[in-house]
Amino acid sequence: MEQILKEMRKTMLRVSAAGKDGNLQSCFSSLEILWALYNGFLPLSKADISNKNRNRFVLSKGQSNLALMVVLAEKGLIEKSELYTFCQFGSRISMQADRTKFGSLIEASAGSLGHGFPISVGMAWANRMKGSRGRVFCLAGDGEMNEGTMWEAALFSSSEKLNNLTLIVDYNHSLEKMIHVGDMGEKLNAFGFDVIRVDGHDLNQLTDAYHARTQKPVAVLAETIRGWGSKTLMEDRSWFHRYPGNDELEILFKEVDEF
Amino acid sequence: MRRMMQKCIRNFISSNSHSALLLVDIGAWPFHDLLEKYPKRAKNIGIFEPGTISLAAGLSLSGIIPIVYGISPFIAQRSLEQIKLDFAYQKTGGNFLVTGASYDFSALGYSHYCPEDVITLSTIPGVEIVTPGTPSQFETLWKDCHANSNPTYFRMTDHCNTKECSVEFGKAAVLKRGTMGCVICAAETMDKVMAAAKELDVTVLYYTTIVPFDSETLQNEIADIPKRIYLCTPFYKGSITANVVNALKGAEYGIEESGVPLEILRNYGTKDEKDCYCGLSLEQISRSMKSFFYGK
Repeated sequence: MEQILKEMRKTMLRVSAAGKDGNLQSCFSSLEILWALYNGFLPLSKADISNKNRNRFVLSKGQSNLALMVVLAEKGLIEKSELYTFCQFGSRISMQADRTKFGSLIEASAGSLGHGFPISVGMAWANRMKGSRGRVFCLAGDGEMNEGTMWEAALFSSSEKLNNLTLIVDYNHSLEKMIHVGDMGEKLNAFGFDVIRVDGHDLNQLTDAYHARTQKPVAVLAETIRGWGSKTLMEDRSWFHRYPGNDELEILFKEVDEF
Repeated sequence: MRRMMQKCIRNFISSNSHSALLLVDIGAWPFHDLLEKYPKRAKNIGIFEPGTISLAAGLSLSGIIPIVYGISPFIAQRSLEQIKLDFAYQKTGGNFLVTGASYDFSALGYSHYCPEDVITLSTIPGVEIVTPGTPSQFETLWKDCHANSNPTYFRMTDHCNTKECSVEFGKAAVLKRGTMGCVICAAETMDKVMAAAKELDVTVLYYTTIVPFDSETLQNEIADIPKRIYLCTPFYKGSITANVVNALKGAEYGIEESGVPLEILRNYGTKDEKDCYCGLSLEQISRSMKSFFYGK
């Protein structure tokens, strides 16, 4: 793992401990997906962020917001010191993003699952209406794919052949503790997507998949592991929604460093 | 009113390239010309209202003014979370036009009724609720607020008032002034209330915008008359009561209300029969108002 990815994971641990909250397993599983997006596919300058032809990103699995904030800080789009306001009263930064606090830096507020992807589809449709060259990327969770609105939006995407739309599924096997849904790729393919399966922790595979454009909307099934980068977070399910105490930080840092 | 709505939408879609019409397979036929002429931004999406509302939010967040047209319960209730999170929370605008009112489709049963739309949507800050009572009132309210960057719910009815009065978005109309107290009516109850109030010495205020609620007009009009307020709406009872009470600023008033009782309506029949069941016939309203203001 690249050192910068380890440092961002350690930052997430520190911020989570400071804010006394976190969905760290989800954030750790999404980090490479987000880092690859912000290295070549999303606007980084103020001018580009307000460009109507910009590529846009919607975080539909809002519980990975801390990972997104750490990536934005690493890219200089927010101050690193602001991360430590995480979950504080009046902060911009919390467990889920509120777009009204960020301008175009955050394209849609998140929280309740099953919303971000349909909104993304509307954005991709709008781009087509306006003749914009911009693409729309959306990151959803595999558990989120249980929501009916995801499939409603998928129906529309394929009916309209929205080939400016890329749905990324952080396939960290949340679904395995729920109902059996079979092969997600086959289902998305049946709903009219071109499906690309990648190792969701491999930056090169992710980058290649994000470049893909076909005549259809693209779904990138990013195979990931919850808590990737920390032995404890990967093995202990209680970390779905908890934060590290100060006494646990050094152990977790060591795990990340040695990963 | 639906014909006026169709005219307004036709004008808007034809004249504004940054507009979109999303139909959920309800009342789609009258728009067939628009669907054919503007296939990129006028569509019969299909029968999935929540996803359609979210799509509309994505359009709105991209600078397109969306219109979603459907039946009241499938927009106000099935898609409530989408209106709340994808429009109000995102702080972005859109237009939700609904037919069916409280129980216009009386024979279709409870699934197609929505006397709760006003009170339900009132709980979402930032959502505007307009309840025109005539086609021309719809036209005025549409012009006033369809492009104001807020989410706006247009409650339409097929049982319009026959009398006309001018209205303005966000303002109550003063239909009559009297000395015995005040009557507040809304939407399609105006005709009946005005007929019932014909021989009564009361002030009558007519609300076609429920949110934002015009407290100022109410406060001005009740300042010098007895503290008696009678509410008559075609919504579930209690839908506007809190707004009225808040406007009274702690003063003690006697309040009586005619409206749809809070129950699951299972009796089919016609709209008029349903009105009688709910105490919303002209005779019932007239008797109730006389009793309230005159003790008769």
